[in-house]
Amino acid sequence: MNKEEILNGLSEAVILGKPDQARSYAQRSIDEGIDPLDAINNGLVKGMSVVGDRYAAREVYLPQVLMSANTMYAGLDILLPMIPSEELEDKKKVAIGVVEGDVHDIGKNIVKTMMTAGGFEVKDLGRDVPIETFISVAESIKTDVVAMSTLMTPTMDGMKDVIDGLIESGYRSKVKVVIGGPPTSPEFAEEIGADHRDANAQDSVAWLKEALF
Amino acid sequence: MNHIERDMAALSDAEADRLPTYPIACGVNRKLLGDNVTYSMWCKDPKIFANGFIAGQKYFDFDFAIGLMDLSVMAGDLGAHVRMDDENTPFVDKHIVHSLEDYEKLEVPDIRKGRSHVIVEGTRLFNEKLKNEVICAAFLEGPLLALTQTAGAERVFMDMFTDPSAVHAGLRTMVEFDRQMVEAFSETGVAGLVWDYLWGNYSCLGDEEYNEFEGCDKYAGMLNKLTADSGMALCIHNCADLPHLDTQVKKFKPVIYSMAYYPLIPDSPSAGEVIDKGYADNCLIAGNIDPQMFIRAKTEKISKVTSDLCQEVKTALCRRGLKSRYCIASGCEVPPDRATKLDNIKAVVDTVKRDGVLEGC
Ligand code: B12
Repeated sequence: MNKEEILNGLSEAVILGKPDQARSYAQRSIDEGIDPLDAINNGLVKGMSVVGDRYAAREVYLPQVLMSANTMYAGLDILLPMIPSEELEDKKKVAIGVVEGDVHDIGKNIVKTMMTAGGFEVKDLGRDVPIETFISVAESIKTDVVAMSTLMTPTMDGMKDVIDGLIESGYRSKVKVVIGGPPTSPEFAEEIGADHRDANAQDSVAWLKEALF
Repeated sequence: MNHIERDMAALSDAEADRLPTYPIACGVNRKLLGDNVTYSMWCKDPKIFANGFIAGQKYFDFDFAIGLMDLSVMAGDLGAHVRMDDENTPFVDKHIVHSLEDYEKLEVPDIRKGRSHVIVEGTRLFNEKLKNEVICAAFLEGPLLALTQTAGAERVFMDMFTDPSAVHAGLRTMVEFDRQMVEAFSETGVAGLVWDYLWGNYSCLGDEEYNEFEGCDKYAGMLNKLTADSGMALCIHNCADLPHLDTQVKKFKPVIYSMAYYPLIPDSPSAGEVIDKGYADNCLIAGNIDPQMFIRAKTEKISKVTSDLCQEVKTALCRRGLKSRYCIASGCEVPPDRATKLDNIKAVVDTVKRDGVLEGC
């Protein structure tokens, strides 16, 4: 099987939501000596971008998107450990979570997936995440980005509390803070001192790449 | 006109003195019962639950009463862990489906216990008190919502894709749970039953998935018929951004459809568009003031928004040749937070009384 077939197999697995296929093509790509980063970017991630675009165009819906994300992660589990650690050091880190009091996590998970697909190393803090957790994890893993999501207005203020906490801890100047979720707005981001707010996953990845690289 | 006359007129698109109004104020009403009444007290005691609605009606003078509690009632009674803070809307923080086999293991709880009992009894109590004043309806989570709350939405969505039969097994239990609740609600004497069919929305499911896992020919179709056969008017609530209007309004044929509006989301339908596209032709549409305004907005601002909505609706109704078939409501529940301004709820009702007057086209 040549390289092109393997890369296509990886993206097809993601597009069709077939984790087993992703695992077997990931293994094959290693056996054939394909650069794991190449397999990730031109295989798995390529497939995920197709699905991301189709979701944005409402051609596919959450069951498919979530299954594709799952498939991408299945392939990544095999390929990421094959990347020499020096190469990974360049990867920028994101800590993402849904702020305290809010359990809506589907949107956050899509953003997490697209950030992973965009080449970031993403630490998922989950949902209903206490303010202190954002701050302590950001510091302990030396993250480059803190990304926060909320779908509810009453919990929006938690985003400000996280930023205030980061300022207090002295870590604010070392991270970009991005926020998202329907009740937030660019004005709100400015008001609370976040660096950026985005309406969707793809655009926020593009912004981060611009801002960090 | 009194409230019931106005409601009946709007339901049948007859001439009415003004548009009806119902900001979906439920848990927030407990604030009228005294500062010591917390959310958790309100949602665990049928009398306090009912007294909230009764006090709300007296204070705000609504045109309807709908017995919404929150969306973790069924999941909690099925055994999922619900985090219950004193003053916040409770939510499920531990799901109970961890494998495909777990769907099969779900069992309908005894609805004479738990919060299922509170909501049924509480609904009976407020209906007894308010039924001669306003149209009262019960509120119930649809089967797909109850299942996602119990099993976790993402898990259910992925299993829909890979193991649909397991999801259907879970849904059958939810339908049986719902069936028993319908029966119990029908004995309370309420005039209507509002179903929360949240997942019929295009940010989450397409027509195909929705049809397979809730849809017309499936569980919702059956439960809708059961509702009507049990003597309750079929009503639907869907607070999502891109609701499946063709399915949920045109095919399900509810008498009331309550929906929200998200101006920042492309294609989210405004009140005017919903009327223009014919969804109000046979159904009383209720919407669509942003619930968050009840916390955040100044009272003048929410009055202005309400006034503008009345104008938009009246113009659209005339354009469509309709008389009164729109209820000024809040798209989703008025947040039951302590910080919610009761004055803002009152301002909506008072503004509709003034600017919702129907003078013919
Ligand atoms: C599904 C849903 C639920 C599910 C959530 C399941 C889950 N695991 O997430 C359940 C049933 C559990 C639920 C519960 C409740 N819900 Co709800 N829910 C929704 C609904 C219908 C859809 C949300 C969704 O998943 N959309 C699909 C995803 C993919 O979109 P998204 O989250 O917007 O994410 C995209 C973008 O916003 C962006 N994005 C999101 N986060 C981030 C972060 C960053 C950094 C960036 C860059 C971008 C970004 O990218 C994503 C991909 O494009 C919305 C209404 C709506 N929007 O349609 C209400 C809604 C969010 N819920 C609401 C409410 C009130 C509740 C409850 C309190 C109801 C109740 N009374 O019990 C509880 C909440 C309990 C709690 N404490 O959290 C309100 C919130 C109102 C408000 N503004 O405060 C809404 C808006 C409904 C309404 N009209 O009032 N809900």
